[in-house]
Amino acid sequence: MGDRKRRCASVLPQQAPTPSEHLRFVNRFTVTRADTCISCGLCASLCPYGVHKRVEGHAKILPPDDRKCIGPSCEVNYFFCVANCPTNSLSIRKSETYASLGDPRWTPEMILATWAMAETGKPLPLDHQSNTGASGGGFDKLHFKLPEPRKFEPDEMSTAIELNRRGSGPEICIPIPIYGGGMSFGSVSVHTMLARAKAAKAWDTFTCTGEGGYPAALVPYKDHVITQIATGLFGVREETIQRSRIVEFKYAQGAKPGLGGHLLHDKNTPEVARMREAVPYTSLFSPFPFHSVYSVEDHKKHLDWVHSINPSSLLAVKVSTPNDVEMVSVGSYYAGAHIVHLDGGYGGTGAAPEIAKKNIAMPIEYAIPKVHRFLVKEGIREQVTLLASGGLRTAMDVAKSIALGADGAVIGTSDLVALSCVRCGNCESGRGCPRGIATTDSTLDKIMDSEWGARRISNLYGAWRLQWCDLLSRLGMTEISELRGRTDLLRHGDNPAREVGR
Amino acid sequence: MAYERYHISFASAPNRAPPVPKFMIVRADNCVNCGKCERACIYGVHKRKEDDPRKMQDPINHLCKNCFMCIQECPQGSLSMVPGPEYNALGRGIWTSLRISTIWSESETGRIPVLGAGYRGMFAGPGFDGMWTDMSEIVRPTRDGIHGREYISTSVDIGSKPPWLEFSKEGEPVTSMPQLIELQIPTVMDTTRLRASTDEVLLGFARAARRLDSLLLAAPGSLPEDAEAELNSHFVPVYPEGTDIRSILLPKGVRMAELPFTPAWKEDAKRFKSMYPNAVLAFRMRATKGLEKTLLALVRGNVDVVHLVYDEDGMEFGPSARRHEKDSLKAAHMALVGKSVRDQITLIAGGGIAAAEHVPKTIICGADVVSLEKALLIALECRDCVTCSLGSCPIHLKGASAEWVEARVTNLVGAWRDQLLEVLGAMGLREVRRLRGELGRAIFHEDVERESFSDIEGGASRG
Repeated sequence: MGDRKRRCASVLPQQAPTPSEHLRFVNRFTVTRADTCISCGLCASLCPYGVHKRVEGHAKILPPDDRKCIGPSCEVNYFFCVANCPTNSLSIRKSETYASLGDPRWTPEMILATWAMAETGKPLPLDHQSNTGASGGGFDKLHFKLPEPRKFEPDEMSTAIELNRRGSGPEICIPIPIYGGGMSFGSVSVHTMLARAKAAKAWDTFTCTGEGGYPAALVPYKDHVITQIATGLFGVREETIQRSRIVEFKYAQGAKPGLGGHLLHDKNTPEVARMREAVPYTSLFSPFPFHSVYSVEDHKKHLDWVHSINPSSLLAVKVSTPNDVEMVSVGSYYAGAHIVHLDGGYGGTGAAPEIAKKNIAMPIEYAIPKVHRFLVKEGIREQVTLLASGGLRTAMDVAKSIALGADGAVIGTSDLVALSCVRCGNCESGRGCPRGIATTDSTLDKIMDSEWGARRISNLYGAWRLQWCDLLSRLGMTEISELRGRTDLLRHGDNPAREVGR
Repeated sequence: MAYERYHISFASAPNRAPPVPKFMIVRADNCVNCGKCERACIYGVHKRKEDDPRKMQDPINHLCKNCFMCIQECPQGSLSMVPGPEYNALGRGIWTSLRISTIWSESETGRIPVLGAGYRGMFAGPGFDGMWTDMSEIVRPTRDGIHGREYISTSVDIGSKPPWLEFSKEGEPVTSMPQLIELQIPTVMDTTRLRASTDEVLLGFARAARRLDSLLLAAPGSLPEDAEAELNSHFVPVYPEGTDIRSILLPKGVRMAELPFTPAWKEDAKRFKSMYPNAVLAFRMRATKGLEKTLLALVRGNVDVVHLVYDEDGMEFGPSARRHEKDSLKAAHMALVGKSVRDQITLIAGGGIAAAEHVPKTIICGADVVSLEKALLIALECRDCVTCSLGSCPIHLKGASAEWVEARVTNLVGAWRDQLLEVLGAMGLREVRRLRGELGRAIFHEDVERESFSDIEGGASRG
């Protein structure tokens, strides 16, 4: 254990507050200042949260910062701005726009909390309701039995995990128990890929190319980029395999298990097509499954093939969650995989048939304990790195996955939300993402700057790490690996934070 | 005759009624008409007024896709977005606004709904929402992957299949083959419980049924004459309770008829079969508690087909302890399997089929064929109002032409068939007949909760 700490003792990035003024457009509450305001500044001197601000030398008070407002329930306080305003110019109401944001899985408060963490790098309190969604099951019904907070020193705690536990080959240890999941060039812009790669480099972890080839812009970050080999084999070349420390085989994706990747014609722009060696503006549907794999022996042949091209890379196998997911995992291990990556049914995607997202293959919450227990019984649990993904939205979801039996997690959508995604779900067609994240449109992809994005993702990871440290310290642990399989620390039921109605 | 692969071709059938926007953009009075919203929106919600370009038009709400860019870019903070009230008020029970609007777009385009971002709904739910279908990482239906979907068969048979064949000493088959109706899709259309229809609508349904090689179930005499004539062998008359069997005169070409299930079913069956030995006879039965026993009795009485009818939310009828179709069909299927008679009877199930995934899920739970009812009306943009009066119908069903109805229903059934192919492909099955009763290839909420969470405090008990 001490060894691991030493091996992973890299200097962790510090939070770097990232200006994100344009993301103030939606909040729980709307504070309105009428024209009758005389800019006396009383509200600014009263509000302890900083909603109102008056800059010395300015004739007018600044527009209210809605994000900091605690809402009409503030009326019990002596400093309630609405009641104190001498000209009755202030009013506070629930934001109408807020109700249009998010969905039961990514609630509006979860999106806003993720944005706040990405902006400031400050962690969310562990009992905050934004740590869970409102989907009424799975992670949203699992909660840690949280002991009281204790003082902790983040530098003394380890959230690191080993990616190679087979006892041979290169050792790779990442200081946080997550790496970035595959998002192809084409489904997202090169700036999004770069932002993720820069954040991965800062945190000494990884991001993944997805199945659309390896854009040259990522090569400077090659030590932190996983090459994905998916069924379409788009843009997979010897050199892309040779330059990677980890190579991932994508058998299936949780959002569309058994269907293969979808890139609808609009998004297959000439650059994307060149990378994928395909005809521009044709829809690209990856076949399913690998046409060369009919059995676990064929699967081993695949892994051997990569091993012979790049003997020093780790092999990750990404599979979906069918009924026999535990057999698939064991088979992957015996075929030589270092990392078994389970992608649950509620995972993210750039485009997938709606019928597949809800209905095909089980949610990840069920698959993790199933596979964990089976690997333990098989006697190989300590040789496999089991990673979970597919509907993990928050640091607490990651911690719950680990408590259910995973070693770590793979993160996708949260990265994008950090980049200001609002989960509108229109990534699949047309010009793609109007917010410049999941698009290859030559105008839209300029909306998002990769440096800015990298800082936001990095801040999010930093905030998450502090949340994990907080959790570990409360549980009396110093390493996140101690948490693995500790289902005794979980409770199944409704969210207490939500019941109290914070 | 040259072999022709079954194929459903789509043609766009645009909505007739004004769209129901999911989101509404509200522009406050402090808008200064700067036009930043017009540049920010890639969907064309914001436009300047044509007659007075100094001002912005009212937002075109149905084009809004919830991206918030206009709100974010507005320098005045004048824009806000609210969930569309009319959209939110659509539907009831399992017929949610999302399902209704999905059926509308499937019927308009015939396309499978494909969207970005992961699943956005509730984790699980009652009925079919508490069920996932299996997939296979390496087994596929054909060697052609996604491009081989056309090789997946969705054909089903209605009628009984003899458990074995007998041959004479000379090697000639001597088993008399029962009547079997082969359909190319596992869905039939049932108009008998529809709240409203017009002659044009029924004619459109009839043409769609014929074009899809499906069946149209309707009360005798309820169809306009030309519809019945066009349907011919695709027409299944559904005789109401109280029909005197002796008075039945099957229209020409009809291959199958439905009789109400009554205590006198044995005599009815006997009489009907003696009158029409070549027609397939189905008993139409309201699903109630204990239907398993009745089904076993029907099999013993050589009944070939039973049409189980559930309510529009997919629940059994009866005063209490009503089961959902999923559990009811599972029990029925397992009871028949337990007595080794499952293949001697065809089960048609209808009611509560509100989305594409309900078709494979109903089949997994044990139905051979699924009947579509309310979905057919929703396909015509029905708003599922509480009371239905053609006089005040918000979509003016009266004005719907048979051609448009035919196109909409064809699109819907085609889109649902394509989604069935997705499910079958993911499971590695190459025909829908294999899906029937494949309970082992489904994942049920209560089972996985128990398997995965029983050791967690407050989790499902192992019981």
